[in-house]
Amino acid sequence: MRSTLINKRRVVLAGALALACVCLSVVLAHAEPEKKTDQKTAPKKLTGAELYAINCNRCHPERYATEFTSAQWQTIITHMRVRANLPAAQAKEILKFLKEDAGN
Amino acid sequence: MKISSFFLGATAACVLGVALPPRAAAMISDEDFNALKSMVTNQDQRIGQLEKSHEQDQQTHEQDQQTIQQLQQRLGETQTLATNAAQKADAAAKIQPIKPIPSGVMSALHNFTLAGDAEVQFGKSQGQHSTFALADFAPIFLFRANDNVLFEAGFDVTLQNNTDQNGNRAAGSSTAVNLSFAQLDYLYNDYVTLVAGDMLLPLGTYSERSAGWLNKIPDDPLVRDLLPGSGVGAQLRGAVPIGQSGQSLTYSIYGANGPSSSSTNGTANASDLDLGGNVGDTPNWHANPSGGGRIGWFYPWKPHYDIELGVSGQSGEWSDSGNRLWSAAVVDAAVHISPYFEVKGEYINTWVQTDDTGTIHPNGGWVQAGYKLAGLNLDLPVVNDIELVSRYDAMNDNLGTKTDRITAGFVYYLTNTLLFEGDYEWLHSRGPAALPSNEFVVQLSYGF
Repeated sequence: MRSTLINKRRVVLAGALALACVCLSVVLAHAEPEKKTDQKTAPKKLTGAELYAINCNRCHPERYATEFTSAQWQTIITHMRVRANLPAAQAKEILKFLKEDAGN
Repeated sequence: MKISSFFLGATAACVLGVALPPRAAAMISDEDFNALKSMVTNQDQRIGQLEKSHEQDQQTHEQDQQTIQQLQQRLGETQTLATNAAQKADAAAKIQPIKPIPSGVMSALHNFTLAGDAEVQFGKSQGQHSTFALADFAPIFLFRANDNVLFEAGFDVTLQNNTDQNGNRAAGSSTAVNLSFAQLDYLYNDYVTLVAGDMLLPLGTYSERSAGWLNKIPDDPLVRDLLPGSGVGAQLRGAVPIGQSGQSLTYSIYGANGPSSSSTNGTANASDLDLGGNVGDTPNWHANPSGGGRIGWFYPWKPHYDIELGVSGQSGEWSDSGNRLWSAAVVDAAVHISPYFEVKGEYINTWVQTDDTGTIHPNGGWVQAGYKLAGLNLDLPVVNDIELVSRYDAMNDNLGTKTDRITAGFVYYLTNTLLFEGDYEWLHSRGPAALPSNEFVVQLSYGF
């Protein structure tokens, strides 16, 4: 019984590790090769639209900017900054992006 | 000189004849007299009317004068009031507020917004009748006081059939309202947020990201029953960006009352463990609170291509005497590859020191994958809005009951926030607390 339990645990652990390896390989396969950057060129800052695409589709379908007013977006993004632990600077850029097309 | 006298007399006569009017006709006719009389009479009447009218005008003029005087008096009073009000406003403006309003602020600071979700289900478990159910109405109240202060609270409102004290069927139904969370958030600076109240606990990510319309499968992973979803306490949390690529490190560290024993005689047997109690309306059931936290790493290599890994845990007393500990450790991961494919999961292990069975290790895990058929580029109207989802979850309560389940289902996105979901679950459970097997559920879920 104990050896069966141990074997099952080993199978589950092996399966989890295999899944992790598959994910990692997929991640690496889609990772773009690192570009050699000119030391004088600063990394490009992500726009509000890009940050919105990165963060706001991870957990739920995207919400359209026109669904809420500017004041409501400010409240909602504050809530999301806490709930999803978004970096403050990114949350501010996303808010600015949403406010541009906010509803009335 | 007679001739001169004659001429003088004649001249005088001529002058007199010219100066003196000729005698008029001695008589005026009766008609003319009567006409003249009538005219005089009319003139007399007219003069009388004019005199009366003049008197009335005089009276009206006097009244107008009185009204003007009254209005002038009121105007004077109004001007006095306005002057007083202006003086009061000037005085009030000179009083310094405790917290000056920031300059340049034009829009209102306060805002109240209602968000949340609602789910309606139809399902059937093996051996039971099929049924409709109002699965959940979960409003979230968001009150923002200013840029740095937010109060948020969420409820779960459900309908359930009545049962008697023995758990048997009873007439009627009842509405259950549960507070899922109620917390005050103070965003101290860009890296630290203080959270206090009944908090969703950052053990894994499922509690914080599992609202009904977010969870693509209608029910929760089995193993989440091994963890408290919320706890009353205080927390510091925040995120530190790494570079400009969107990468970040996140942290949460908290103290909460923690699990307690449901026993009334102070025992800490395995069956006494109460994960949802100890919310502070009485003194803490045990001497010391529990502590916990999560560290996470999020790396997007481009939009819709990202990985998140996290490690979290909690530990603390749960028995009244304080000599029994409850601890949990969670590893969570989520990967998105393109806008169409995601896979995520958690592994949970707990350690429960008990009076009757020693230290037990309830544990389990779940892994869930989803693929949106729009990724096939078939450009078909209904197919493009369908996502296929599947989950494997397993739980071992370490008291003899083991359960594993495979779920296969779909999500049809009627809109971005209105989802029609359906799934079939193959459940295999054995042991003293075995769960009912196989069921299917369809659900309409709306996020607002």
